Amino acid sequence: MAHIVTSQDIPVDGEFLEKGKVAKVKAIAGLVAVVGLIASCIFFLINFEKGSALQQAQYSFAYSWLYGFFFCATISMGGCFWPMLHNLSNSGWGTSVRRVMENLGFVFPFMVVFAIPFLFPNVQTALWEWMGVHAEARKAADISLYQFWGSGELAGKLTELHEALLAAKTWYLNQFAWYVRFAFYFLALGYAIYRTRKYSVDQDNDENPTTKNLFAARGAAARYIPIVGISITFMAIDLVMALDYKWFSTMWGVYVFAGCVLNSMAVIMLTTILLRRAGYMKKVVGSEHDHVMGKLTFAFTVFWAYITFSQFFLYWYADVTEETSYFILRNTEHWNTFSIGLVLFHFGLPFILLLNQGWKKNHRFMIAILSYTLCMHAFDVYHMIIPERGPSLGLILNNEAQLTVPHAWWGDLIALVIVVSGFLFFYLRNLTSVALYPHRDPRILESANLHN
Amino acid sequence: MSTQTKQVYGYLAEFKNASQLYKAAEKVRDAGFTKWDCYSSFPIHGLDKAMGMKKSILPKFVFVGGLTGFCTAVTLAYVTQVAIYPTIVQAKPANIFTLPAFFPIMFELTILLSGFTTLFGLLGLMGLPRLNHPLFESEQFARATDDGFFIAIEAKDAKFKAQETKGFLEEIGGQNLELIEDKKN
Repeated sequence: MAHIVTSQDIPVDGEFLEKGKVAKVKAIAGLVAVVGLIASCIFFLINFEKGSALQQAQYSFAYSWLYGFFFCATISMGGCFWPMLHNLSNSGWGTSVRRVMENLGFVFPFMVVFAIPFLFPNVQTALWEWMGVHAEARKAADISLYQFWGSGELAGKLTELHEALLAAKTWYLNQFAWYVRFAFYFLALGYAIYRTRKYSVDQDNDENPTTKNLFAARGAAARYIPIVGISITFMAIDLVMALDYKWFSTMWGVYVFAGCVLNSMAVIMLTTILLRRAGYMKKVVGSEHDHVMGKLTFAFTVFWAYITFSQFFLYWYADVTEETSYFILRNTEHWNTFSIGLVLFHFGLPFILLLNQGWKKNHRFMIAILSYTLCMHAFDVYHMIIPERGPSLGLILNNEAQLTVPHAWWGDLIALVIVVSGFLFFYLRNLTSVALYPHRDPRILESANLHN
Repeated sequence: MSTQTKQVYGYLAEFKNASQLYKAAEKVRDAGFTKWDCYSSFPIHGLDKAMGMKKSILPKFVFVGGLTGFCTAVTLAYVTQVAIYPTIVQAKPANIFTLPAFFPIMFELTILLSGFTTLFGLLGLMGLPRLNHPLFESEQFARATDDGFFIAIEAKDAKFKAQETKGFLEEIGGQNLELIEDKKN
C-alpha cells in the first residue's frame, strides 16, 4: 500500500516547472514559428502570375497551412473540453492533472496567430471555392459584403451563375457570416478557456483557499461547454467540410470532436508522464491516474472508430451521388490504401494495445503508444484535408481534376513543423507560467490518493 | 431419530470498523491463510491489497470470449453472404469489399460474447448461484449487510486449527467469535 498523501506533502506555494529548464526548446520552437509564420504570410500575400508554377505552389501550400493549423487547433480545442468537463461533472480524480488540461486548452486563443493566413484572399481562393464564386457574384451585381444571412439578390445572382447549391446555402455560406463565425471561435472559446484557467490559477494565490472558486468554475463550465461544442463543430464545417461545398455530413462535427478529445488526452497524459520522469508532480500523480487517463485514451480510440465508421457506413450503404463524393475521392488509388490504413492503424492496433491494464501503467509503453496516437491523428487530419487539393487546384489552375499535386508533401511537412513549433512554444509558455497542479484546490488530496 | 452430522465451516469474527477490518485482514494475510474472506456492507478501498488478492483472471476470459465473437461474426457473415450464397444487396459487391456491411455484426457479436463471458465467468468464479451458505447459520452475520465487519477463516484452510485460529482471531482484535457449523443431512 502506497504512502497516503497528506497536506504535509503538498508544497504551500506550489510546484513549478522552472522557465530555465525548457528555455532552449521554447526559444528554438518560437524562432521556427515566427520565421515560418512571417515567411508564409509573405508567400501568401504575393500575387503570382496566373497559372504559373509559383501560384500552384502558393495554392498548394494553402492546403498545407490548413493541415498544420487544423492538426494543432483540434488538439488545443480538445484541451479546452477536458478541464470544463472535469469541472462540470464535479470530478475529483483529475484535480492533480487539471492544470495540464487548462494549459493545453489555453494554447487555443494563441492559435489565432496561425489562423491569420486564412484571411488572405489568395488562401481563401485556393481553399474555399465558394468564396471565389461569391466574390464574383458580389462584384458582378455590386452586392454589399455585410450581409449576415445573405440576401435574395445574392442568391439570385448565384443562380444566374448556375450555382443553385450555393444560392440555397447563402444563409450559412456567405463571406460576412464566415468572418463573424471565425471571430466567434477565437473570442468565445478563447474567453471560456481563459476564465476556466483563471478560476483555477486564482485559487493558487488565495491566502485562505475556500471552495468559492471551485464552485464558480463549475457553474461557469455549464455555460462554457456548449461553446466548446459549437466552436469545434462549426470550425470543422467552415474550415474543412467547406473545402468541398457540395458535400455535407451531419456526423462531421462529432467526427472532428472525437479526434480532438482523443488526442488532447494523449498530449495531457504524455505531458504528465514526461514531467514525472523529469521529477515533477510525483507526489500528486501516480499509476492510478495513468490508469484513468489510459482508459480515457482507449475509450476515445473506440469512440473515434465508431463515429468515423458510422459516417462512412451510412453514405456507403445509401449510395447517393452527392453524399458519396467525399469517400469516392478517398477510395481512389493510393488514398484508398490510406483510408484502409486508418482503420487498421488508427483504430485496430491501438485498440489491442490499450486493452491491458498493466501496459496502461507502464510509462515507456505509454510514451510510445501516445506518440503513435498523435502520429495517427496527423494522418487522420491529412486524410480530411489533403485529398481535396488535387481536384480543386487542378480545376482552378488547369481546368482538369487530378488526384494529387506532385512534391506538395514538402509544403505539408514544412507547415506542420511551423505550426507545431508555435503550438509547443505557447504550451511551454503556459506550463511554466503557473504552478504545475492546483496545490490549494480543496480536492487535491482526494485526487492524489485516487484509487479506482 | 434422524442422524444429523455437523461439519465445521470455520470461525467468524467481528471487527469494530472498516479500519480495524483492514488491519486485521493484513495480519490474516501475513499469517499465511488462503481460504478466508472479509465481509463488509460497502467496498473498502485497498482491501483487496490488504487481503493479498491477486488480479482476477476474468479479463483473460473476456478477451477470449470477445475474440470468439469476432471470429464467429466474420465467418458467419462472410461464409453465408459471400462464399456459399453470394448475395447482392443494393448493388454492393459480393466479395471482400463488402466487408463494411459486416462490421455491425462483428461489433455486436464481439460485445455480446464479451458480455456473456463477463457475466457467466463472474458467476462461475464466485460459485454462484448457490442455494445456501454456511455463514447464514450465524445470527450476527445478518449485520454484514448493515453495520457489521467480519472475517471468516474456513476450516478447509491447511493452517486451520480450531483453538489456535480462535486465539489468533482474538489476538488481532476480533470480537463475538463464533464457530460456524454447516448442517449436513
